[in-house]
Amino acid sequence: MQIFITGLGAISCIGQNVEEHLDALLAEKSGIKKGIHPYSQRYLVGEIPLSNDELIAQFQLKVGGSRTGLLACVAAKEAFSGHAHHPEIRTGIISGTSVGGMDISEVHYRNFMENHTHDVAQYSEHSSGNSSERIAQELGVGDFITTISTACSSAANAIMLGARMIRAGKIDRAIVGGTDALTEFTINGFRSLMIFDEEWCRPFDESRKGLNLGEGAGYIVLESEKSRRISNSVALAQLKGWSNASDAYHQTASSPEGYGATLSISEALKVAQLHPDAIDYINAHGTATPNNDLSESKAIKTVFGNSIPPFSSTKAFTGHTLAAAGGLEAVFSVLAIQKGYLFANLNHKNVIEETQLQPVVKTTKVERVRNVLSNSFGFGGNNSTIIIGEL
Amino acid sequence: MSACIKMITSIGHQDSFLKENCWEHLVPLTNETEVISPDYKSYIPPASLRRFSPVLRMALTAAQVCQNSVEQPFDAISVGTSLGCLRDTEKFLQTFITATGDTLSPTAFIQSTHNTIAGAISMALGNHSYNMTHTQNSLSFETALMDGLLCIAEGKENVLVGAADEAIDFLNELKPTVISSDLPFTSGATFMVLQPQSNTNSGKTIVDCVVYFNQDIENCIDQFLANNRVDKSAVELVLNAGNIPSNIGQKQIEYQQYTGLYYSSSAFAMHLANDFNLSEGNYALIVNHQQEGKLGLTLLQ
Repeated sequence: MQIFITGLGAISCIGQNVEEHLDALLAEKSGIKKGIHPYSQRYLVGEIPLSNDELIAQFQLKVGGSRTGLLACVAAKEAFSGHAHHPEIRTGIISGTSVGGMDISEVHYRNFMENHTHDVAQYSEHSSGNSSERIAQELGVGDFITTISTACSSAANAIMLGARMIRAGKIDRAIVGGTDALTEFTINGFRSLMIFDEEWCRPFDESRKGLNLGEGAGYIVLESEKSRRISNSVALAQLKGWSNASDAYHQTASSPEGYGATLSISEALKVAQLHPDAIDYINAHGTATPNNDLSESKAIKTVFGNSIPPFSSTKAFTGHTLAAAGGLEAVFSVLAIQKGYLFANLNHKNVIEETQLQPVVKTTKVERVRNVLSNSFGFGGNNSTIIIGEL
Repeated sequence: MSACIKMITSIGHQDSFLKENCWEHLVPLTNETEVISPDYKSYIPPASLRRFSPVLRMALTAAQVCQNSVEQPFDAISVGTSLGCLRDTEKFLQTFITATGDTLSPTAFIQSTHNTIAGAISMALGNHSYNMTHTQNSLSFETALMDGLLCIAEGKENVLVGAADEAIDFLNELKPTVISSDLPFTSGATFMVLQPQSNTNSGKTIVDCVVYFNQDIENCIDQFLANNRVDKSAVELVLNAGNIPSNIGQKQIEYQQYTGLYYSSSAFAMHLANDFNLSEGNYALIVNHQQEGKLGLTLLQ
């Protein structure tokens, strides 16, 4: 059964809609800069320069709530534009998030600790599930709703579940992807892990030191053939393959040989029924931490051997947007196919000595991109791969 | 989508861990209720045990005994949690709010993500298979279960499905503004092994599980039973949370009087349903309507 992609939506530091993202990717313009909040100003981060009130006003959102939920609504609304509720189309919302409403909770919890006063009602948005329910309210659809929380692979897993549920006939259409706002909690979390780079992150570079965090949301609309017959939507690409596997190695680090990543990449190819040669571009997870990029490089080498497709990480554009990353990068993967581009791996100078893998360093126009493989790896050894192909 | 329950176990406020039949040890909860903990040392290595919060200990131990009941490693793991690892989340908030120096201990942060539970299970079991974490408020267990049933429909043969949540004192701050309930906040973990239906399986069958959002509850139950070709009169036991129509089921039992308040407690209702002695041809129905606008229906035979 074919799973069609019929809508795209994105918001991050490089753009507030899909077109702006494409412009930035073509212009090789990163959105990572010095933070604007008291907790982010020490770091280079990918922040969206709009307050919550500005997001609500600019995108005419019906609902308030956490920043995570607002970003979700902005991107999901763009992805779903041109689509509508239909009684014969069962529509699911499957969304990933890791921080949920922590952007609100952390402010009030600080007041609670420091002054013993807090506005208790504000915690009502804490639950991660709420951000997905906000999308349902905003779009007026939601026959099935679930939130996936597997850290940085959340959005890829949400996309995968949407495809599986459509294939099983449980739903006909799904809005899938992920969202995460930048919070003091996550900034301090990654600070405690000491995996920030004080400079611009350099994925797959020998000198890479760590990541820059970002925030955002990315969603795609998946539809079955039946759903498309009713909706008359225009197909942009197909979701062909997906897989999730466990590294079972360490709570935060990847195994040195990339075992879990190798499993997820190989299995996704199997689901897609594609030979590795059919992959024309890999949008890598590529966080620019020493551990991830080495482990991912080894996994790519294991699967693709001597014919490694052009690959790059777009994290140096957006920062690592955690649970949103797989959603944004699914949007980029569709754009790569639609427009025929391989996107730049910014800030790259020298290959990693041990693996010698050379990423695409300039955004490059190519004749044809048939299939894109996109990796997302998360804490807990959670490794996911999706494959998006041309129609 | 259906599957057989090969094994199910719970750790929580009832004496239900590794018991032949959990109904025999049930007592209604008081406000002073506490988790009845097994000897975790038998299941978790000392170094991990020191680091792990209650929810991780409960979930990991329950998952471990599920693994012990089958020979093959699980070919999928799907976990539901409503609020995740609350203790470590609060601990990390306190860590950075009170921090004075430049270094922070990362342990609480690492263990604060929702998928710490499923991730720790994969690591403890050395399991490389599909590993998913669902969080959808009061329907977190049902959505994880639906994923597990989907795995069985896709051909997987040993699927671990479970739910875990933990209470922290801070939750009491939320009453009654955010959460209004007379029940005490509690913790619980229930894990089960799902297998495809076969003649050799003696456990109950999960016939179907569906979640509904903002719909009429009576219509949903009627439609759900009709879709599964089950006559209302064959519903012998209803295990429910929240308001539900009174005309459904020969016997209705509110399961949260035994679990207390945590949002994935319908997993314990599954344990109750599994251990209930149904008459031939009859069904048990779990009606989870803990939160307004969210309905989970699970049918067992």
